[in-house]
Amino acid sequence: MQDNITKLFKAIADPTRREIFHALVLAASSISITQISTQFDMSRQGVTKHIKILNDAGLVKMKEDGRNRFCLANPKPLKEVNKWMQFYAQFWDDSLNSLDNYLNANKNA
Amino acid sequence: MSKTITKEKVFNHPIGQIWDAITKAEEISTWFLEADFKPEKGYKYTFNSSGENCSPIIGEVLEANPYTLIYTWVVKDTPATTTVTWKLESFKNGTKLYLEHSGIENYSGETAIEMFNSFNGGWDNCINGLTDYLKEEVNAG
Repeated sequence: MQDNITKLFKAIADPTRREIFHALVLAASSISITQISTQFDMSRQGVTKHIKILNDAGLVKMKEDGRNRFCLANPKPLKEVNKWMQFYAQFWDDSLNSLDNYLNANKNA
Repeated sequence: MSKTITKEKVFNHPIGQIWDAITKAEEISTWFLEADFKPEKGYKYTFNSSGENCSPIIGEVLEANPYTLIYTWVVKDTPATTTVTWKLESFKNGTKLYLEHSGIENYSGETAIEMFNSFNGGWDNCINGLTDYLKEEVNAG
């Protein structure tokens, strides 16, 4: 599960991927890689790379139709509260460890 | 499912030192997030992440009396308000810290989409900022 949320955050960390995802959400239907590359003035390879990361995170579903590959937004992973719970649980663990390190560093100073 | 995160951690430091670390802007900025913060009820604070393009956290101090600190926690430009509560108590030769983060269910539904669109960099980035800082500290020490 931790792995999933890492993928999710990796996917949304990049502004271009957020724009592509947003465009797919607005389209509310399948869009081909070619259409996306035209819309974003980007190479097909570039788009494919971004789509793959979105796909890994479960945010985009792929389907093949002949020679074309189509992408469909799947916002469901973002709606899972559980993921936010996990995210914040990890965030606070990290932060409290950071606090501990800070206090220890101060003590030794 | 519980929608509240609770953490408990024991520190080998006096309670006053930890209270300062979580309430003084200068100290918060060192170990947590760059802070414009005052431990005064009603104060509207901002936490900025050192990471690139990270959405600031904004909120209002609801309570700040030793040793309870409560503030709302909003990722800027998102409509969901959550609440963070810190409580300290002396424990053996140190201090026990309780942390509670509630209201996370407010991120469900359409909010998630809005949140996504206003993420400005994703938190992964922001947490890495924190981790990098720690690594630097360790290496420097």
